[in-house]
Amino acid sequence: MTRKRLLALTLALAMMATLLAGCGGDPKQPSDPAPPSSGQQTPNTPNDTPTPPADNTANLTAVQKIIAEAEGMTMEELAKKAIEESNGATFYGVGNSSRGKSALPLFIEYLQTIDPSYTLNYDWQQPKNNKIFDQLTADSLKDTGTYAMTLIQDGNQIESKMVQTGILDTYIPKEWADANGVSASSYTGYLALQTLNKVFMYNNTGSKSYDNCWDFVAEGEHGLYMDIDSEIVGKNFLYMLTEDKYAGWMKEAFDALSADEQAYFQPTITAMKSEAEDLGLGANGAYALAWIKLWVESYNAQTDDGPICNTLVAKSARDQFGLLVYSKLRSVEESAEVSVNNINVAAYDDGYTGIGGYGYCHYLFVTDNSPLPWTACAFIAYMTCTVDGFSAWGKDMGGYSSNPAVAAENEATYHHQTGGMAEDGTTVAFAAKNDAGYDWWTTDGKLVLEDPTYCASVAFTVGSWIEMLDKYSAG
Amino acid sequence: MNQSAIWRNRVRTYFSKPHNVILALMGVVLTVTTVAPIIAILEDTIKIHPGTIDQNLTGRVSGYTLVNYIDLFTGKMAKANLWTPLLNTVYLAVGTCLVAILFGGVFAFLITRTNLAWRGYLSSIFIFPYIMPQWTLAVVWQNLFNSNAVTGTSNGLLAALTGIEMPMWWCKGLFPSLVVLGLHYAPFAYILIGGIFRNMDANLEEAATILDTPKWKIMCRVTLPMVKPAILSTILLVFGSAMGSYPVPHYLGLTTLSTKYISMNSNRTGEASILAIIMMIFGVAIMLMNQVSLRSRKSYTTVTGKSGQISKIDLGRAGKYVIALALVVLTFFTSIFPIVSFAFETFLPNPGDYSFLYTGDTSHLTTKWWTTSENVSENGLYGQMGILHNDMIWRAFKGTILVSVACALIAGTIGTLIGYAVAKSRRSKWANYVNSVAFLPYLMPSISVGVAFFILFSNKYINLFNTYTLLIIVGTVKYIPFASRSSLNSMLQLSGEIEEAAIIQDIPWVKRMTHIIIPIQKSSIISGYLLPFMTCLRELSLFMLLCMQGFILSTTLDYFDEMGLYAFSSGINLILIVTILICNTLVNKVTGASLDKGIGG
Repeated sequence: MTRKRLLALTLALAMMATLLAGCGGDPKQPSDPAPPSSGQQTPNTPNDTPTPPADNTANLTAVQKIIAEAEGMTMEELAKKAIEESNGATFYGVGNSSRGKSALPLFIEYLQTIDPSYTLNYDWQQPKNNKIFDQLTADSLKDTGTYAMTLIQDGNQIESKMVQTGILDTYIPKEWADANGVSASSYTGYLALQTLNKVFMYNNTGSKSYDNCWDFVAEGEHGLYMDIDSEIVGKNFLYMLTEDKYAGWMKEAFDALSADEQAYFQPTITAMKSEAEDLGLGANGAYALAWIKLWVESYNAQTDDGPICNTLVAKSARDQFGLLVYSKLRSVEESAEVSVNNINVAAYDDGYTGIGGYGYCHYLFVTDNSPLPWTACAFIAYMTCTVDGFSAWGKDMGGYSSNPAVAAENEATYHHQTGGMAEDGTTVAFAAKNDAGYDWWTTDGKLVLEDPTYCASVAFTVGSWIEMLDKYSAG
Repeated sequence: MNQSAIWRNRVRTYFSKPHNVILALMGVVLTVTTVAPIIAILEDTIKIHPGTIDQNLTGRVSGYTLVNYIDLFTGKMAKANLWTPLLNTVYLAVGTCLVAILFGGVFAFLITRTNLAWRGYLSSIFIFPYIMPQWTLAVVWQNLFNSNAVTGTSNGLLAALTGIEMPMWWCKGLFPSLVVLGLHYAPFAYILIGGIFRNMDANLEEAATILDTPKWKIMCRVTLPMVKPAILSTILLVFGSAMGSYPVPHYLGLTTLSTKYISMNSNRTGEASILAIIMMIFGVAIMLMNQVSLRSRKSYTTVTGKSGQISKIDLGRAGKYVIALALVVLTFFTSIFPIVSFAFETFLPNPGDYSFLYTGDTSHLTTKWWTTSENVSENGLYGQMGILHNDMIWRAFKGTILVSVACALIAGTIGTLIGYAVAKSRRSKWANYVNSVAFLPYLMPSISVGVAFFILFSNKYINLFNTYTLLIIVGTVKYIPFASRSSLNSMLQLSGEIEEAAIIQDIPWVKRMTHIIIPIQKSSIISGYLLPFMTCLRELSLFMLLCMQGFILSTTLDYFDEMGLYAFSSGINLILIVTILICNTLVNKVTGASLDKGIGG
């Protein structure tokens, strides 16, 4: 009897397994292609190729229709629509930056300049780690969602999980499009609120200096870096290095090394040649892969950029270095043990060669089931097209508005380029705090910029290759 | 008489007994709350998730597949994603059990079976690590032992003050993780083993002494076998908890199934769910092993009522003070130092900036972490207000109290009723099933339970993410075992005659419970409410996937720890510890129940 039961159970399980395996399909022959991506690049990203405007609105969702209408409106017209829609309501936003919470009251104040009786309750949530994607996915299952909009980072996951699945929609404010010299209706990239930079910094209390980005992966080096599994934008940085332009930068930097140094890295680069071919990378792909391999196998994973900054500015962190968000320097309090002057920003050093860091964006989207789509559009326009709206972020160094007009006005207000000067305006008090600005970083500073489409395209080729590497473990 | 009438009468008779109603109701409810999440997570393992590896491997954006299983078990990443974390998890769980049992057991022996000095103080202080969130000891460990030369960071306190640099195996990885978790769970061993040591019949040991048996032999052949059930119980409680611990291995750099779950969840979602299932299987296996061991426990009677006193070993006039002093020093580092270090951290100008200690200059201390009332980012506060003015912290505090009180009340009540009902029908298979299914969630690693409930309640119809309702449901299901075990053990001690006497006098069930049974077993029942409350106050692994920071204190504390804002996390730790101590003292004063009650003497 028991045997019969066992046999029946085994057969049932085998049948179920066969059925499910049948569902698997052939990996190389997609049977259910994903919808085309609407997210491409921002004006800050390298391959901005606007496509012709879509003239067919029949297939648009209700929120997409509102967005199409909003894209033709001025800030004030949009504000009136928002007042009409949300007076007395509650606005839920979710974002990777906590500053959305600071921007909302300013937005309400702005709307009250048009209608003094306007009120809006708000709740801004900032999930840690990767939870924002789970949260938005769960919310998208409802007919009318909870969240009106989002401020989100990680172009790769946005592309594959949010945009291709139709969970988020891009809205391009008219004033923003004008300032960037593009047309809102034809622009196909995401809307970035700002670009943030993570830059190489090193503790200067010892004898070491770093004059080439290959020095960061030299023998015995263990840079402090947020674990690429907990902050995925860190992985996007590695993906981007394999893109032709940045792989070329890696080769240029390699060529600038001394013969001895080149001899140390050359075997790894040679070994990566076949890997680069297998992964379909360009001519200099092997340089990028070699650097990535050495980096992943050497970096000392930390939980956040905050602890990295706390470590590097301490006197006792002699000869340590890290790749971390530049703006963290703003929060250092000078003391006997700790000082901003204990660190150098590598790219600012004379004679430094190679990449200075990584730039990634905070993107703004309206949820496709937004309960307050007009208000969401108006809030997005307010943050991207006015200095007040951007002020929640603009007062800190290391974050650059995607709107050139706002960026210029912001610099005129907060003077980040001279943020490290003493009160007399001529003495350099904290050299590392003189933010060279977006234009410098993306040219001379050789900032590697995130391209969501490229990241998504290599996430399971280069991405899987990276996962195979043996990560450095301090333990 | 027809069969249906007989059947109806049987049903009516069965449900005329309140404990049968409780069993039927709880059996159904607990089956749903335990099985439904498991089914949800099982479905997740075969579902295709857009933007993840299963989409890439199948070329489809929806539907079902087995590729997650195939890739996890046989793919190129199998070693890194499954086998190594699994092995580390088992090492961690076994090591934690060993440390907890050795440290807690030896401590319990010294407190209960010797004339050690300062037993009252030591007994109270020993449970502190359990009161504190487990990863706070990991953070203290880092702050103590990190060094520039070894861990590649700034110097921790030991290196900064003495120049001593501890080796890497001491600072990061398996060793510190199992020590920290072992210290955290040692109070379990202390309470369980201490309870038996305190109540055990000394006649057996005395008989062996009379027969001139060597002391080591008495220990190995008589004493230790008697505490075997307590050791097994400790393993039962600690193994699953250690296995499902996320924060300790996360902070101390050990890759376990829990940490792997979090890191794989973004691009290997389905495979991560399989890891959660594997952890659950361990939970079920432990429960089955426990049931096997329960069947062979008949010979471990420890309370006979025949011996009123236990013999205490004389440690000698100096010995009792020397050993006590050693324990005072040891417990200082496990219990007092973390609290002192938390308090000190909240007055440092930058996280980990001990300038004051080298310079003696009080200007290198600050109260900004407590008193800042403006939104400023330039002095290290990252736009946060001081603890006293920080809305997020105090909202999280209220949320924590709400969730803890609700979980304690609901889990405590349900657990008490289950204990009562199971004790009344102890030979019934259904009662055994209800007892097991109530205990199962405790044996499942917290992170798996959290994952399962997150998946279950994130759908088109019910979306409870980031709601107190979800936290209360999950907390209740997870903590019912605290109350059910405590209640069952005490109810089994109650003679049936007591309630039968009341039944004969036609006293209603509610009155029997409230006037007879509950008052008699008040202390155990209150423990059944107290344990869920205290555990819930500092629970992270269970809740971390279900809500965000600012919702409850533990997720807020973890957020600040990850951000490196140790002053805030230390301040929250202090708030938690003070809250738990106040509650424990209040309950102790009002009811006489407390965590270490009756062991320290």
